[in-house]
Amino acid sequence: MPGATDMSEYSPVILQGQQTNDDEILASTPLDAKALGGESSEIIMELLQRFKVRDVMKRQVISIPRSATMRDAQRILRDNRISGLPVCENGRLYGLVSVNDIIRGLDGGWMDEPCENHMAKNLVVLEAGMPLAFALRYFNNYTYGRFPVLDSDRKLVGIVSQRDVMRALLYELSVEIRKLEMKTSSKAAKVEQEAKGNFFRREWAVVHNDLSRAGHAANAIKGILRERKIDRAIVRRVAVAAYELEINICIHSHGGVIVLLISDNSVKITAKDRGPGIPDIEWACRDGTSTANDWIRSMGFGAGMGLSNSKRVSDKFEIQSEVGKFTIVQCTFELPKPDGAAEGGAQ
Amino acid sequence: MTIADVTKILDGKLIAGDATSPRAVGAVVANDLMSDVLLHDEDDILLLTSLASDQAIRTAHIVGAMGVVIHNAKPLSETMIKVANDLAIPLVSSPLAKYDACVKLHEAFLAEERG
Repeated sequence: MPGATDMSEYSPVILQGQQTNDDEILASTPLDAKALGGESSEIIMELLQRFKVRDVMKRQVISIPRSATMRDAQRILRDNRISGLPVCENGRLYGLVSVNDIIRGLDGGWMDEPCENHMAKNLVVLEAGMPLAFALRYFNNYTYGRFPVLDSDRKLVGIVSQRDVMRALLYELSVEIRKLEMKTSSKAAKVEQEAKGNFFRREWAVVHNDLSRAGHAANAIKGILRERKIDRAIVRRVAVAAYELEINICIHSHGGVIVLLISDNSVKITAKDRGPGIPDIEWACRDGTSTANDWIRSMGFGAGMGLSNSKRVSDKFEIQSEVGKFTIVQCTFELPKPDGAAEGGAQ
Repeated sequence: MTIADVTKILDGKLIAGDATSPRAVGAVVANDLMSDVLLHDEDDILLLTSLASDQAIRTAHIVGAMGVVIHNAKPLSETMIKVANDLAIPLVSSPLAKYDACVKLHEAFLAEERG
């Protein structure tokens, strides 16, 4: 990003409270990837969605006002052994002075001028409510080592580094893996649920807020229906419903599953989640009603069309929800009898 | 009008998918809101969007689109290109703005109709 401050230079601000040694956590983590198989990556994905930036960021940030001189900034950087200093007043972040800015100030002879004239102003920031998965994408997309964190009122509330993210993940992983070890056998039995009799059933897990993976179930469902030479118009309607419901679980729930059930005379898509539930189902099913936040909208979703779109394409649409517990949506699509089936497969 | 024609008309570059695909554009949908795109029932949609993400490709696959054009030469991530290749959705990057791309395609359709 042009003009963005190189946050990789921004060494840790005051670390107050306990300081954890990453190596100790690593050593104490019973991480046995072999024993866990594919579940380990699912746990990590779940953690990356469940935990927010605010859960791992450092809240103690040293800052200076805009009127402070570059020399003041230099002294604070030196005394605190840090290499970047947010310029902040009443919680509002105006910019950042880095060691590079100080070097330029020494060269240019403007060390006694206010820092607001020479600080970097175009900063890349994170929001406190963003999931860790989103923060990791920022670390991948930009080469910065850490980002300032703003709350919903755009006030500076912390700073987060890759190290903070890793530390939190390692700790939580150790907790989750212990839990998992206790129920590995029962979980393994649930992973594959195949066809019984004339029914075909398959289930996909959907992780909260992981838009990069959302759509996998719907894409797979489309492939399965195409293989079975189901009428292309029906395949498309099923795929649209599955996709919308999958996105809904992803952006609105704590996580859940998409279930495909094919019988001789119908295809059913069931979306089950673990809450938070819908207080007003009628309102939620109306076009254009949504509780999505801005970053979900920036991904092309959250316009409040999900449930109404699913309902529109279904032959039968059922929804149940209990606030704080679950939401279950079931879309049924009738299949024509074999002698009345349309020719040709789906596209 | 095939994806090769679209690429040429929009001064674009084919980033993923088969340049020789014979599928012709059935309808053009220019939209950044994927739920809106899912409302379209037309066959062989060409999706024009500035949403340079995996979801644009996944949405295109769900509606059976014949191709996706990302306008304004927005940078495309490696994962997006991979998803496009995996799902066999031709992906074109065009330097044109959405409006200009729509106008150029419309003009090309009119010329095609005139023969």
